[in-house]
Amino acid sequence: MENMVGIQHSSSREKDFVEVLGLREEIEKIQSTIADFETGKKLNIAIVAEPLKGKTTLSDKIERINLNRAAKITFSKIVQNKNEISLPDDTKKIVILDNCHFLYMRKPGGFDIFYEFLDMISFQNRIFITTWNTNSWKFLNEAFGLGKYFPVQIFIPAFEKENLRLFILNRYEKDEIKFAKDEESEEEPFFYIMKYPLELALLGKKIFILVPKINISYLKNRLLKKQKIEAAEDQVFEKLYLESKGNPGIALRIWELGLDYPVMKPKNIGQFSYEVDLEYEEAFTLSLILSYQGLTKSEITEIMGPMSSVDKILYQLLSQELILKDENDSYRVRPEALSSVTTYMEKLRLVW
Amino acid sequence: MVDGNTSREQLLEIFRSVDTQTLITMALIFLIAYVLGRIITILLLKLSEKLSHTGRIKVEVVIPIIKFVIYLIAFYFIFREIFKIFGPEIFLLAGLLGAAIGFGLKDLFSDIVGGLVITFEKPYQIGDKISIGNYFGEVTDIGLRSTKLFTPDANVVTAPNSLIFKETVASANYGVSEMMVVIDLYIAGESHVETAMRILWEAVVSSKYVYISKERPVILLHKALPFYTRLRAKAYVNDLRDQFKFESDVHTRAWVEFQKNGIRAPQLHILNIPSIEEKYESEATTRRNMGSNAEGLKDSR
Repeated sequence: MENMVGIQHSSSREKDFVEVLGLREEIEKIQSTIADFETGKKLNIAIVAEPLKGKTTLSDKIERINLNRAAKITFSKIVQNKNEISLPDDTKKIVILDNCHFLYMRKPGGFDIFYEFLDMISFQNRIFITTWNTNSWKFLNEAFGLGKYFPVQIFIPAFEKENLRLFILNRYEKDEIKFAKDEESEEEPFFYIMKYPLELALLGKKIFILVPKINISYLKNRLLKKQKIEAAEDQVFEKLYLESKGNPGIALRIWELGLDYPVMKPKNIGQFSYEVDLEYEEAFTLSLILSYQGLTKSEITEIMGPMSSVDKILYQLLSQELILKDENDSYRVRPEALSSVTTYMEKLRLVW
Repeated sequence: MVDGNTSREQLLEIFRSVDTQTLITMALIFLIAYVLGRIITILLLKLSEKLSHTGRIKVEVVIPIIKFVIYLIAFYFIFREIFKIFGPEIFLLAGLLGAAIGFGLKDLFSDIVGGLVITFEKPYQIGDKISIGNYFGEVTDIGLRSTKLFTPDANVVTAPNSLIFKETVASANYGVSEMMVVIDLYIAGESHVETAMRILWEAVVSSKYVYISKERPVILLHKALPFYTRLRAKAYVNDLRDQFKFESDVHTRAWVEFQKNGIRAPQLHILNIPSIEEKYESEATTRRNMGSNAEGLKDSR
């Protein structure tokens, strides 16, 4: 999983995360492109995904599969020095570049490294597997035709509900987590009303509509005489799936916020809807943070220019609880606010 | 057949028979239509401001139509009252009405017809930035008689709807929220043009106000003139209301970078020389812009 505040990393079972989440097709496509390269056909690969959706995890997996023939470079902040992307002659033939959205700075004079990068991937006799934030990708594709440099484009799909369940429960021992029904419901309901989160880009906000649900798993459990508690588990993951829209990073964050270890109840799965109301400069700054996934104050100041009051802007974004500051002094969009922020940015057309 | 004197007397008699109640009813109908039209306009405008750029324009488009329908219903009830009073003699009145329009109310009538044409033919819509006659600004309201424009100098111009019959209308965005802005930068003739073009490109595409898509690309043009070089960027501002902020943003950031790279402005006295060719070209560009917007509209539909 990508670097994210508040999320535990690298348990031993996470190593098989990609298989668990069913990215086999994507891996096969990448491996087949690598095989083509070895027979003389070079097609660079772009892995594109929303923040926290697992592109770094996928690229890690690709590195592990091609352990002896692949080199990986991960960018964690905006690259300002050309040497950081220059590859020695003895570099392996498969080069994995993670977080390539850090290869440009959105300002006049801020694209020199990016041009250098495009030259490098075009003319070197290596295959480049790159990962990109989807918002940066779309911007660079419209402005610079980036897609033409990457004939193979992998867009990580939203994860299925069952895959999310596996992804989360795989972090714990069997039966370590206890699912409990909410106190107010003495009996598991056969029929219940659920709040369905609906993103309205036209209004720039997320609303909840009430949707009637029939508890099919409860019926099955009753018929098969299984424990009632499984229905609570189903409700937990249904809510988690709807709230995260299949984004594992968001799902994990919401799970962690609701977990009263070792017990999880359906009502503990929070439904996050942020009333975003920003001035244009604040919104643009937020769109930058969203597009880069993480920016330091100095990077934001450099992009926004000296006339912008970055302190005031960051204060506004922090006080509305839309962003947080991580241990590397980077500002990131709060995972649980990601969908509200993205919807608001789409309303303003600051991301496309 | 009725002779002239008899019909006049009949008409006068009818006028005398009109009671105050009927007049108040007709005035009330008109007042209710007006107030209802205003309330709906204000509510829809408030709603549209909360929506996305594209949503705003879509909501604003329906305002004149709703107003027209309200007035149509109001006129129906008013004419029903009139018909009740005058009966078949309404046709006599129509003659008088025709004469009144011909002499005194022709401008008003022409404005109302203009309003209908604008509502249904849509040469422009609420939310568009238009040039009509000597006026330029954002259309904030289309009424039965006049169109209100909000100019860049924060003036509200009330332009009669009949202008549509006499003047050419240019709509810079025509129902969409993005709008092409042409930005000219002049640099000294000996400047390194490739560097300057690259900087201008980066200043445009990195602007916080820009909107780029396949249908709305950024175009750069270079023209070497005898004493200076003109760089022209054609790009779309995300929200037409930010037109001047966009221009200013690109100018400021491009010039900061120009100075870092030793690119100078031309000598001041050279720019003072009037250039006929430049003027002609500028007009031609405007015409082309309008053309490209129309094509864009076709695509967007």
